[in-house]
Amino acid sequence: MSAGTQVHANLTEEQVREISGDLNEPDWLTETRLEALEALEELDMPDVIRTPGRDWTNLHDLDFESLVDPLNAAEDKDQVGPDEAEVLAWSDAVAEHEELLKEHFGSIVDPQENYLTALSTALFSTGTVIYVPEGVDAEDVTVRTEQNSRSLFNYTLVVTEESSSVTILERQSTGAEQDEQYYSGVVEVAAGENSYVQYGSLQNLSKEAYNFTVKRGVADTYATVDWIEGNLGTQLTKTEVSTTLSGDSSETQIVGAFYGHNDQHFDLDAKVWHRAEHTTADLVTRGVTDDVARSVYEGVQDVGADAWDTSSYQRENTLMLSDESEADASPKLIINNHDTEASHSATVGQIDAEDLFYMTSRGVDPRAARNMLVEGFFVPVLEEVDVDELRDDLEELIGARLRQRD
Amino acid sequence: MARLELNNLHAEVAEGDETILEGVNLEVQSDEIHALMGPNGSGKSTTAKVIAGHPAYEVTEGDVLLHLEDDEFGEDIEIDEDQRTWNLLDLEPNERAALGIFLGFQYPAEIEGVTMTNFLRTALNAKIEEREELFEDEEDDESDAADDEGFESSPMEGPADEGEIGVAEFQQILQEKMEQLEMDEKFAQRYLNAGFSGGEKKQNEVLQAAILEPSIAVLDEIDSGLDIDRLQDVSNGINALRDEQGTGVLQITHYQRILDYVEPDHVHVMLDGQIAKSGGPELAEKLEDKGYDWVREEVYGTA
Repeated sequence: MSAGTQVHANLTEEQVREISGDLNEPDWLTETRLEALEALEELDMPDVIRTPGRDWTNLHDLDFESLVDPLNAAEDKDQVGPDEAEVLAWSDAVAEHEELLKEHFGSIVDPQENYLTALSTALFSTGTVIYVPEGVDAEDVTVRTEQNSRSLFNYTLVVTEESSSVTILERQSTGAEQDEQYYSGVVEVAAGENSYVQYGSLQNLSKEAYNFTVKRGVADTYATVDWIEGNLGTQLTKTEVSTTLSGDSSETQIVGAFYGHNDQHFDLDAKVWHRAEHTTADLVTRGVTDDVARSVYEGVQDVGADAWDTSSYQRENTLMLSDESEADASPKLIINNHDTEASHSATVGQIDAEDLFYMTSRGVDPRAARNMLVEGFFVPVLEEVDVDELRDDLEELIGARLRQRD
Repeated sequence: MARLELNNLHAEVAEGDETILEGVNLEVQSDEIHALMGPNGSGKSTTAKVIAGHPAYEVTEGDVLLHLEDDEFGEDIEIDEDQRTWNLLDLEPNERAALGIFLGFQYPAEIEGVTMTNFLRTALNAKIEEREELFEDEEDDESDAADDEGFESSPMEGPADEGEIGVAEFQQILQEKMEQLEMDEKFAQRYLNAGFSGGEKKQNEVLQAAILEPSIAVLDEIDSGLDIDRLQDVSNGINALRDEQGTGVLQITHYQRILDYVEPDHVHVMLDGQIAKSGGPELAEKLEDKGYDWVREEVYGTA
């Protein structure tokens, strides 16, 4: 089904030109945006899992007409990094690094991949470019975005040159809340030979917000791209975190943690494409659903025909705290090269009554026991989070949400 | 002194109507060690779980009473006369624990992500707090509430969940008890029973009892699957509970073996959901030699 009917009258070429012009973008970028705008009519919503009778996530009902307010993009932003690396606001990157942008922009996430990437490409007004020169180790790059407008389109590009490394912590939250808000983010990571990128993200937007995010990396020879993906906010989130292992001996890890309550809906994809020899992937996600929240997890490990000596592992576990919450998982393993060691699993469960009894019989009250069990459930993924600040924040937010319960 | 009294206790599985306990009568008091023996399926473990309040069982008849003397919890807790007998069946598992009941599990739960230290300190503090609540006079209630408010507004106060026993103090208690049981101190930072061997789990149950200082400890097959060294460590731990803390022990076992190390004052044989026979230590030896059929014969008159 085409989403073309959702392109609305108040979204015009003039607006796109105005956004691009305000950022002093070169013509080719303006053109890329205009093409994306034009393509909206033809493009579909991102894929969601479908089973007979229903789509697991319904994106078509999103009312973009009222959600998108192209020329108002109020935000509060911090973009901070060490001196050795360049951490630039989008307009500065346009002024200083046009060639870099020309090489990488839209090369990893196709602007016209789907309706929402195209919308994001046409309308993004804020962004960050992180450039790490050869041999540089850059720690503690932080990008914090606080949304104060009805809609906000954000773009991030990370480029690491040979044998460099960078740790990035990105956070999204909501400042001035409105009834409904839309946050859209596209992140492209180009990890050069033998470089290391750790990209941690903590999404804690307001409970009324909608969120669409694609984060995708390409790892060159001996490069590593590690993702940490924390999702706590929004009423509806659709995200993809993925890596293409395009260089021999490249690696990726995707660590995810989510906690949905009230009527939150999370649709989370973790994907890896093995496209070279001796590549390794480790996908591990844990999440909790409570009240009438719903989670949909799709994990894909795709081993290409030329991906000899592949190692690929995937685990997803969801804990349901209420009888009314729902959790679905679809771990997929596509193997086109027999020289592969792979595993994939997904479980959905509830708090074990025997575990709870064991703890209460020692004197712990049922509520505290349950909270300890849930916090303990997240520990295996939190242990994988190398960024202390992100781990501490996640722990704290999970703990706070648990203590909010009756 | 404390005394646990089971009166004509009948219980069945909550979901279903299979009766498992058919009128159990038993008394265990402080400073005593009781062995509860019997063939598989006779109701021993169910008795233990019902005492602790396992939600899978429903009591259809009878009582589980706990009698306390005024000094059971030391000087800090004053036990009024009308608070000396508790019907445990009216209480939640954590409240029973606060009153001094401890269940050592046959199959302890493995809980990932929760360290032993964190769990045990939480349990100990929860127990102290719950006990204070259970024995609180109503008049005290109000003044306590006022106190609490005062705490919250005081910037000098530590985090609210610190509890009565602080981290440092608890570490000391834990270390001491672990040494007594000859446990490796690395256990303290491991996740609760996760990846523990069978023997390590049992040792950990005794350690928990040592720290929580129960009035009555029910130990469900604490001895099964232990090698001789660990059996001795565990036995020493159980004897210490009685000798040093005055704990009354109800020890469920299939084997005479542990009774060589933990000498029972009383031995009970359970058959078909009832205590069929009680006696002294010699009864356990006879069971070891002759099995249970003779008890059955004696009780029912036929084999």
